[in-house]
Amino acid sequence: MSLEKPSKKRHRLQEVKCPTGFTWRNMKAELRAIWECNIKAWKLDLAYPISFIRQCISPFIFLLPFIIYGLAVIGGRYSENLEKLVGTGDIVTFVFTGYMIMGFIGTAVWAMGFSIRREQWFGTLESLYVTPTSRLSLVLGMALHSTVHQSLGTAIEFAAIYLIFGLALQIQGILPALAIFALMMLALYGFGILVSALSLVLKEGWIVAEGIHSIMMILSPVAYPLIVLPTVAQQASSILPTAPALVGMRAFLIENYTPEVIGNVFLHLLALDVAWILFGVFIFYLTDIYVRKRGSLAKY
Amino acid sequence: MMKLKGSTLPQSSLHSNYFIVWSEVVKNLKFLLAYPVVFIFWAVFPVFWFIPFILQGEAFVGGLQSQSFADIAGTPEFIPFVVLGAILNSFVLTSLYGMGESIRREAYRGTLDYILSSPCNKAFILIGKALSESISSTIFAFTQLAICILFFGIELTLGIIIPVIFIVILLILGLYGMALILAALSLRYKQAHDMAHTMEYVFSVFSPVRYPLASLPLWGQILGKLLPLTYALIAVRSIMLLKQNLAMLYLEVLMLLIIDAVAIFLGFYLFNWMEERTKKSGTISHF
Repeated sequence: MSLEKPSKKRHRLQEVKCPTGFTWRNMKAELRAIWECNIKAWKLDLAYPISFIRQCISPFIFLLPFIIYGLAVIGGRYSENLEKLVGTGDIVTFVFTGYMIMGFIGTAVWAMGFSIRREQWFGTLESLYVTPTSRLSLVLGMALHSTVHQSLGTAIEFAAIYLIFGLALQIQGILPALAIFALMMLALYGFGILVSALSLVLKEGWIVAEGIHSIMMILSPVAYPLIVLPTVAQQASSILPTAPALVGMRAFLIENYTPEVIGNVFLHLLALDVAWILFGVFIFYLTDIYVRKRGSLAKY
Repeated sequence: MMKLKGSTLPQSSLHSNYFIVWSEVVKNLKFLLAYPVVFIFWAVFPVFWFIPFILQGEAFVGGLQSQSFADIAGTPEFIPFVVLGAILNSFVLTSLYGMGESIRREAYRGTLDYILSSPCNKAFILIGKALSESISSTIFAFTQLAICILFFGIELTLGIIIPVIFIVILLILGLYGMALILAALSLRYKQAHDMAHTMEYVFSVFSPVRYPLASLPLWGQILGKLLPLTYALIAVRSIMLLKQNLAMLYLEVLMLLIIDAVAIFLGFYLFNWMEERTKKSGTISHF
């Protein structure tokens, strides 16, 4: 009996060429990864229909106390003091235009911030980490899902408030308001990438996320104009994309609205987009290297 | 046959039941103190959640008092109204997310099967859980109250502390009755988080946490009157803001007692029923 030397050809592993670098092929592959992450998140969402419905109506439920409280303190829908401050006294329209943005802060802080952490809970983070896909694609896939999910919630919120209270919005202001919204979302994505990096290091990052969310809620002119905040808080709010975005969107959507801050909202938001995205991506890559070197990726 | 040491089951007695409650309290407090950041978070951060309402009120009214608000709330000062509402509401949050999900947490930790198969009355385990949650939520509420006394001008005199504590105890009893119902449902339907969120929505909108009940439509007011938080808020605000004494609030106290009795009875009954059902169906350790 002779022992045959195994053929090299038969046992050679098939080589897989992964696109890398700034090439069109690599970009297409990353876009596919983002899309698949988004589809996965939707499948998980729709697997729990009751939870999905609850999440869709929650923006409306959270908005209601702000409106009812506003109506109770002034005994009607129009506030003279608000009109003195920002040129419009309609509290329902003012609060609605502010609060619809708040849900998208949740997108950045909670959905994007916990995209990596969630994979860890599912036990799939390490498997994903050994694929040649960029880690950022995971976060951006979740961002895509969450933005659409939140938009659905906001649409329900809009329909319910419109039917119950009525809204006085300028139709012609919708397009520029959407442009401002898109600019704000870019900066919020940068912010979300930063939070997801923090959750890699801090693990139980929900406290950080909740803390950031609460502070952003105070510093953003959601239910009140920016002028009522102390000067230091007003200055601090200018580094967050929500403050200029809210002022800009209201200027286009609400008739007679007088912006509380002077300056070009578009340029302000563009500068914040660049700053937050660069900062978020930089911190994300730093923490990625850090947790892999420490071997703490799978730790809880 | 070899007899296992200590295999004789202890007879149900006051001492052994007390030991179950005590062990459960100690275990839960150890968990709480093992995460000091979580402790600080619940003690401080709920204050941040009502600051937007204070700023909103100031922006809309242009001052710290509102006559329109006084017409329906009995007091023109909306800031103490909102602050007290938020502090008492923190009991709702801790009871729903703490006690309501406590059974679910045991399932996550893999200890639920052992607890349910132990030869003790499960009611005492639940009492232990409720007691530890009450202790922690009272510590959180008092920390928030101290912050509010310092920064928001809430007045607290010795004369009103005892009636307020009495009302808070009645509130806690009712809330834990409701949390027991939630815990029972989580045995069968697992996803307690969604049920807790839904209950939170009901409390948030239909209880007079930030606005008086009269601001709601009639059907909303009726729904609000089924919640223990409504009567506790009316009573505490009447004592602290309107300087009324407890005797004048006998109706609110009576309603709280009725809700407490119904919720606790229903909670224990439902828990025992669900426990039997899940044991029979073999789904205790299912996720």
